[in-house]
Amino acid sequence: MPAFLGVDVGGTFTDAVLVADGELRTAKVPTARRQEESVVAAARAVAAERIDRFTHGTTVATNALLERKGARTALVTTAGFEHVLHLRRQTRAHLYRLCAAHSEPLVPLERCVGVHERMTSDGVLEPLQLSTLPELDAEAVAVCLLHSYRHAEHERAVVEELRRRMPEAHVVASHEVAPEFREYERASTTAADAYLGPTTARYLRALAGSAAGAGLPEPLVMRSSGGVASIEAAASHPALVLVSGPAGGVVGAARIAAEAGFSDAIAFDMGGTSTDVCLITGGVAERTSERHVAGLPIRLPTVDVHTVGAGGGSIARVDAGGALRVGPESAGAEPGPACYGRGGTVPTVTDANLLLGRLPERLAGGVELDHAAAKRALGSMDPAAVVDVVNAEMLRALRVVSVERGHDPRDFALVAFGGAGPLHACALAEELGIRTVLVPEAAGVLSALGLVASDERRDRVESRLVPLGEAGQLPHEGEADLRYRGQSFELTISLGADLAERFHRAHEERYGYADRAREVELVAVRTADVRPGPRFELPPAPPLRVQGPSVLEQSGSTVWIPPGWVGVRDGSSTLVVTRT
Amino acid sequence: MNIQLQVLGESLRAVAEEMGAVLIRSAFSANIKERRDCSTALFDDRGRMIAQAEHIPVHLGAMPDAVAAVVANDPEPGEVWILNDPFAGGTHLPDVTMVSRTELGFAVSRAHHADVGAVEPGSMPAMSRTLDEEGVVIPPTHLTAEALDELVAQMRNPDERRGDFRAQLAAHHLAEQRVEELCARRGRELVASAMDELYSYSERVVRAAIARIPDGRYEAGDVLEAIDGELTIRASVTVGGDELEIDFTGTSPQHDGNLNCPLAVARSASYFVVRCLTDPDLPASGGAFAPVHVTAPAGSLVHARRPAAVAAGNVETSSRIVDVLFAAFGHALDVPAQGQGTVNNVTLGNERFTYYETIGGGQGACPDGDGPSGVHVAMSNTLSTPVEALELQYPVRVERYQLRLGSGGGGEHRGGDGVVRELRALESMRVSLLTERRRHAPRGARGGAAAAPGRNLLNGTEVPAKVTLDLDGGDVVTIETPGGGGYGA
Repeated sequence: MPAFLGVDVGGTFTDAVLVADGELRTAKVPTARRQEESVVAAARAVAAERIDRFTHGTTVATNALLERKGARTALVTTAGFEHVLHLRRQTRAHLYRLCAAHSEPLVPLERCVGVHERMTSDGVLEPLQLSTLPELDAEAVAVCLLHSYRHAEHERAVVEELRRRMPEAHVVASHEVAPEFREYERASTTAADAYLGPTTARYLRALAGSAAGAGLPEPLVMRSSGGVASIEAAASHPALVLVSGPAGGVVGAARIAAEAGFSDAIAFDMGGTSTDVCLITGGVAERTSERHVAGLPIRLPTVDVHTVGAGGGSIARVDAGGALRVGPESAGAEPGPACYGRGGTVPTVTDANLLLGRLPERLAGGVELDHAAAKRALGSMDPAAVVDVVNAEMLRALRVVSVERGHDPRDFALVAFGGAGPLHACALAEELGIRTVLVPEAAGVLSALGLVASDERRDRVESRLVPLGEAGQLPHEGEADLRYRGQSFELTISLGADLAERFHRAHEERYGYADRAREVELVAVRTADVRPGPRFELPPAPPLRVQGPSVLEQSGSTVWIPPGWVGVRDGSSTLVVTRT
Repeated sequence: MNIQLQVLGESLRAVAEEMGAVLIRSAFSANIKERRDCSTALFDDRGRMIAQAEHIPVHLGAMPDAVAAVVANDPEPGEVWILNDPFAGGTHLPDVTMVSRTELGFAVSRAHHADVGAVEPGSMPAMSRTLDEEGVVIPPTHLTAEALDELVAQMRNPDERRGDFRAQLAAHHLAEQRVEELCARRGRELVASAMDELYSYSERVVRAAIARIPDGRYEAGDVLEAIDGELTIRASVTVGGDELEIDFTGTSPQHDGNLNCPLAVARSASYFVVRCLTDPDLPASGGAFAPVHVTAPAGSLVHARRPAAVAAGNVETSSRIVDVLFAAFGHALDVPAQGQGTVNNVTLGNERFTYYETIGGGQGACPDGDGPSGVHVAMSNTLSTPVEALELQYPVRVERYQLRLGSGGGGEHRGGDGVVRELRALESMRVSLLTERRRHAPRGARGGAAAAPGRNLLNGTEVPAKVTLDLDGGDVVTIETPGGGGYGA
């Protein structure tokens, strides 16, 4: 029997899942400052031996971006457009806080330089003069010339010249990483990729070393797209791993839903400080082609996770107008909710849940919950109101990914995971008309399980910008970004027969109208080479039937089954909660 | 506060936001889709604004007049009404507003359309003298299929206009559906109470904030750079308890150019300043402005009467009103230095195309930090059009798009820098420039230095702040936008 290991590094804990010999073993260890050490410790905690496939989710790139600990980076653009990262899209950060600052660009003005050349969308307008490329003092260089999404010749020549001049530097061309029009977003993505290159490569080299030392195979690394890639591929374009962790969770949720017979589901991952939701249709997580990370636009394929700043540790307060607010401030892991008895005094969602009788006296990890401390923290605040307010926030996120995109949530199952997901899921399902909530046995480590199940995947995007009728033969599999000629937002439609008609229908679904007389434009073609992940069975957990109202403890999460709902586990590892 | 009402209020707010998302994503012109020059809102049965998804502040206070104008016509449920008449609920002609009745109250959308059939392509003429020259004036009208056909036929690029109108209609369709769902699920009564609560919540918060401003009467004035000389804007702000009175007595009479605006625009600008100085994070709702009373002499620049031209009022005069009001409040509170004070309107076009953009500049420095560079500073916050998107769609090439380094004023906190944007015409076309702060630089605050004023150039030679020019293929227009003033010596 083959053995598969997944290790997911989070901010506080590193989770491991081992699937071998018809057995599922899970572990949580604290995350160390050096992530590679936690990875090995987590692998040891599940007694990983003779592993056939080792997959890994990391936050090294994300942290480097958030903490601004990347490489000393330079940016080369077409002369006259050097300030592209600083001009952004000219909007201010806050409509009414006039001096609110945007995220500082990754490249300071003095290292943003121009080279004389000019492409138009039709080709060369002004030849490249390499002699105008200044000497750069940098560890990494991003190159983003105008219209290179279509005409990359100049960009390629500049990159070659830089690699010759600066053999030690990490040089990235925008057409290699995000060949799509709109220069600011492309430059931002390229700059992030260059900025993160050296740090990420160092980490992945160290990880490969530690893994080898521990007798583990070389890990495959989770990318934002929901597929894993080799260490070498991940290190060459680290902007592609920025959403590694949430991607693992979504893949895990899709796997759980499929096993329970649902190809359409919503992944609902409620943690301590934030909540991620993502739509899964036809067994596949929805993807998007752009996402903001640490305040910077990253134009790369990403599972379309919608994040809200509220979770179990979110703090409740009454604002100046007398309204109850929950989050985005969080009690975090330290001191945590008041009921953890670690010195927290402000009321959190977890405290409210405890007072409502939805948490056990003692958590699975051994933490005794302090009822009196929770009561003191909430004071005169109604715990049910706190839960209502945070649920309203969750509900909004769930509607954004379903109703607002033309999907009826009543046709979906809700996959609840993360420490707090299974506590809130049934109430949310009730509001949305969802009939089935799925709670995986591994709800506390589902991202790591997703790593085990994930495909190997390499995404490609080709910028086209031609009328669909003139696009010629398209690949059979993959996706097309389509729009009515003249629009500037695209809808992504899977390739195949009746492409134009399916676009019209999708437009109608999402926006309430279609215009079949109008020309459809093909903006980009997205394809992926996919090598399917391993096949394995999740071992069944003991059968169970629980009628609500009831609190059910599982490893790593607590399930609240409200009145009118019943939870059944029968021959699988997933608890299926339905309305009676 | 009642939690049920609060939670329901969030749902109503979400509907306004979803309307905006649908409008932007399904629109056709760069102006709406790339620049997001649009806003959407829900109103209650009494015509009060409950929740607004405002992408730019200039739409803040200007919608209630539109709803009132339509309500006067007694619309039936299911009907969508349209208007742009600045003297009957509108602001300036390119901003076309739609109003429809929902199960409970009204849905409203307003979008800046790239052309509404003015004498100049783009409908932001620099030299207009009467409203008729600025495009098709639409009084409150029931929008039927025939009415829509008739309207777009009078505008340039009727096909694109139709696409944008349909995007607006899509937003209304959505609002109608969502409000009906909410009423069916929660009951009309409860939804109505939630609307009341959203309104009074904002009112409570803003009243409490106004009460903290020292009582008194504070005055200030500034000028606009009209073609044939300066125009004055004067305002007095009277703070009394938890109420504010803003009076524009002393402002120049309406003039022969297009810097005039209806009172709705003066109100928007006033609300913007109140918002910045009270609770910047408060979600937009009409209640926030219930304690703010704005008056101006009829026939003045900021309360103009038909047939005044108003193209620049909404974008330029509104910016100056903001400067004046910040200066007045500056006698009582710590306020930011002046920002670029213009949105630098540039319109290009011929019979084949029209393209409109506004350009960011320096924000004035604040008491607690530097002013950002290359941003919209007051009543606008529209996105720039990407160079590549612009060049793919229009016969225009961008030669340069850079920060105008050093144009911000110095001080303890520096003002933001303006930008330089250089556009080359690739065929014959007309350009209209409608800009301000070319003669009078943005001022610093508390000893901070003034910023560099802006400049407009044609093939390297300076041209006026407001001008319409014929361009040949190859001609280059350069816009250097003003910086923001510095704060503190």
